[in-house]
Amino acid sequence: MDADSDVALDILITNVVCVFRTRCHLNLRKIALEGANVIYKRDVGKVLMKLRKPRITATIWSSGKIICTGATSEEEAKFGARRLARSLQKLGFQVIFTDFKVVNVLAVCNMPFEIRLPEFTKNNRPHASYEPELHPAVCYRIKSLRATLQIFSTGSITVTGPNVKAVATAVEQVYPFVFESRKEIL
Amino acid sequence: MTGRVCRGCGGTDIELDAARGDAVCTGCGSVLEDNIIVSEVQFVENSGGGSSAVGQFVSLDGAGKTPTLGGGFHVNLGKESRAQTLQNGRRQIHHLGNQLQLNQHCLDTAFNFFKMAVSKHLTRGRKMAHVIAACLYLVCRTEGTPHMLLDLSDLLQVNVYVLGKTFLLLARELCINAPAIDPCLYIPRFAHLLEFGDKNHEVSMTALRLLQRMKRDWMHTGRRPSGLCGAALLVAARMHDFRRTVKEVISVVKVCESTLRKRLTEFEDTPTSQLTVDEFMKVDLEEECDPPSYTAGQRKLRMKQLEQVLSKQLEEVEGEISSYQDAIEIELENSRPKAKGALASLTKDGSVEDTTSSLFGEEDAEDEELEAAASHLNKDFYQELLGGGLPGSAEAAGGPEGGGGPPALESLLGPLPTAASLGISDSIRECISSQSRDPKDASGDGELDLSGIDDLEIDRYILNEAEARVKAELWMRENAEYLREQREKEARIAKERELGIYKEHKPKKSCKRREPIQASTAGEAIEKMLEQKKISSKINYSVLRGLDSKGGAGPRREHARPQETAGARRLSRRKAPASTSGADPVAGVRKRLRPMVSTQPAKKVAVGEQALLPSPPSLEAEPVRPTSAVVVESGPVSYHPEEDADEEDPDEEDGEPCVSALQMMGGNDYGCDGDDDDGY
Repeated sequence: MDADSDVALDILITNVVCVFRTRCHLNLRKIALEGANVIYKRDVGKVLMKLRKPRITATIWSSGKIICTGATSEEEAKFGARRLARSLQKLGFQVIFTDFKVVNVLAVCNMPFEIRLPEFTKNNRPHASYEPELHPAVCYRIKSLRATLQIFSTGSITVTGPNVKAVATAVEQVYPFVFESRKEIL
Repeated sequence: MTGRVCRGCGGTDIELDAARGDAVCTGCGSVLEDNIIVSEVQFVENSGGGSSAVGQFVSLDGAGKTPTLGGGFHVNLGKESRAQTLQNGRRQIHHLGNQLQLNQHCLDTAFNFFKMAVSKHLTRGRKMAHVIAACLYLVCRTEGTPHMLLDLSDLLQVNVYVLGKTFLLLARELCINAPAIDPCLYIPRFAHLLEFGDKNHEVSMTALRLLQRMKRDWMHTGRRPSGLCGAALLVAARMHDFRRTVKEVISVVKVCESTLRKRLTEFEDTPTSQLTVDEFMKVDLEEECDPPSYTAGQRKLRMKQLEQVLSKQLEEVEGEISSYQDAIEIELENSRPKAKGALASLTKDGSVEDTTSSLFGEEDAEDEELEAAASHLNKDFYQELLGGGLPGSAEAAGGPEGGGGPPALESLLGPLPTAASLGISDSIRECISSQSRDPKDASGDGELDLSGIDDLEIDRYILNEAEARVKAELWMRENAEYLREQREKEARIAKERELGIYKEHKPKKSCKRREPIQASTAGEAIEKMLEQKKISSKINYSVLRGLDSKGGAGPRREHARPQETAGARRLSRRKAPASTSGADPVAGVRKRLRPMVSTQPAKKVAVGEQALLPSPPSLEAEPVRPTSAVVVESGPVSYHPEEDADEEDPDEEDGEPCVSALQMMGGNDYGCDGDDDDGY
């Protein structure tokens, strides 16, 4: 059942967050003045640089650590990070591209059926937690994958995990449980 | 007796009166202790002739009230931290619980949860009030009382989501599954608050039926139960001719007006709403509805499909238009011998550039007309669908795109990013300025792989001088306030420095880790440790310091009193190991020793002492001694209430599988001061 259902479901990756280091001190003021698409947040001490080509937003700290968000795939994230490093190089800093790591991946997936949330919570007691007063979705955590799924009653599921593979595995894992508590279309 | 020193006169002659439970110095007469815990039972005669036992009740949770007679203060100011925390928590739980009108049983359960939380260190780093509220709410959920998290947050004036976070954490850590909230629980409470008078019960029943109907119609999943209750009660009230306005209902139920209206509208959509009052009471419709979000989703889906159909039609029309445009262009070209300036080079490249350039609005009389016509036609279509968004890039992209459909629509259609449209416009610009584009594949090896990175484009990211200046000015203007604050702060600091009263606010240094104690024997280690931290009031430090501490686990068996202090020193562990070691004869000896404990504690201590005294922490040497040591009794007993027998423990623990608790406690059923032992 799992393999077949995977084919039908398409998991859409909406956000990939990655970090890397430049191993050199960055002068934020210079970046802010000479960059074309940057926002300088002096009070917090960081610069936001937005790239257009892979659509990403990077947060740059003066220590040389950079966080990149907004990419839609792991390769794109890496590519965007490299472009960013290149543009910093052109600004005059001795940039070395090290410690690239994808930190978080956010994906969305749609089930073709609705889900009964109270029933689902009861059957998956330790992993699932549901507080209708606080949030309309069930929060299902898979410790082994370090992934969290938010399951809504309409059947749409939001997954966050450390990498794309974990996200896919998480959806595969949760599918049978969700299938049990689905609502039959009359 | 205890060897304590009187605070007043320094004398050591202290008399313990068991009957009164006092410790009094015979030198100056100051009372050192009151309410000593003793194990004797004394009886006093009442005025009526009956007799009652002397004593005070001490609570289970804390050490009880510490007496402060005669201005003396005790070594540790009453209780230890843990007991104080628990007592504080209990007080707060009662205070909050009474405001919520929870019964005693609930409060006790909440306190139990709190105790569990404290033992799992969940109170660390969290406001006590939050943890207390979470415990109370947990009780409410497990008992099924109609209290909402919102009530608690109202009482505490704390954000309900913060409380919710703490509550979820608590439930997860304590592995308590709170049953899901049923909105039906809230009905009686809200009905009461809405004051329906005699018909309270009937209105409640009607509201309950409505709620159940709502449940079957899938309105309740993912919604706040209070919102549903509000809607149900409003309708029920109207059904019974009570005039309850929306405002009254929302003040009771604590939801927003728009939420209530939304619920009512959703209910209106269900077929049940079409029934009359009487019909509703009698009949229950069989079919169930889809949840409102699902129907909304369906509507969206239908819209999407409609748009797709429209876009297909648009494509066809577009195709026609572009072909017309091409035809017109060709005609114009033929009619005019030479083309003008920039246009010439561009028009030679092909029809693509024609349309784009024309659409970019270059100034040329004939082209203007064409452009106007084309853009007008295009604009109409786009505006129909989009309401006039993105005409520029959409048109630009629309031409060369051809079969892909207008990207502006695509952006509507969903997560296909607008990058597509902008990316395309980029590429158009680059086509016009005749640059080639490398494929953007990331193949990174090495430190900064420049393959696929277009330097020229990145150059565009860097401003030139004039732009940089403008930008700097803009930024300065925007962040003027922040800069001003910084300057003022610096001025202030400079002034204070001059005056000499400048206080440097150093960041709080976290307390340093103490260096590990270097000691050659276990005893030394304990001494040093105790010097560093004064742990408990129950240890006689003065005696300890005066003793010659060498290895010996025996005497500690006498310490029936739980010494939860002394960090890792767990008495129970020491009890067992004290009696065991690798060799059997030793074990046998110890076993024999134990029955002697209750009767002759001192002797046993001596024996134990002797046995272990000459041996180093490892017990291999011991088997030799005890055989002779059993008989011999030596004089003064070295007293080691606290010793680090940890290194002995691992050896000894596997010797004796089952030792009764009493035996482990050293068979000491006195239950009084361990101090009894020494000296005798």
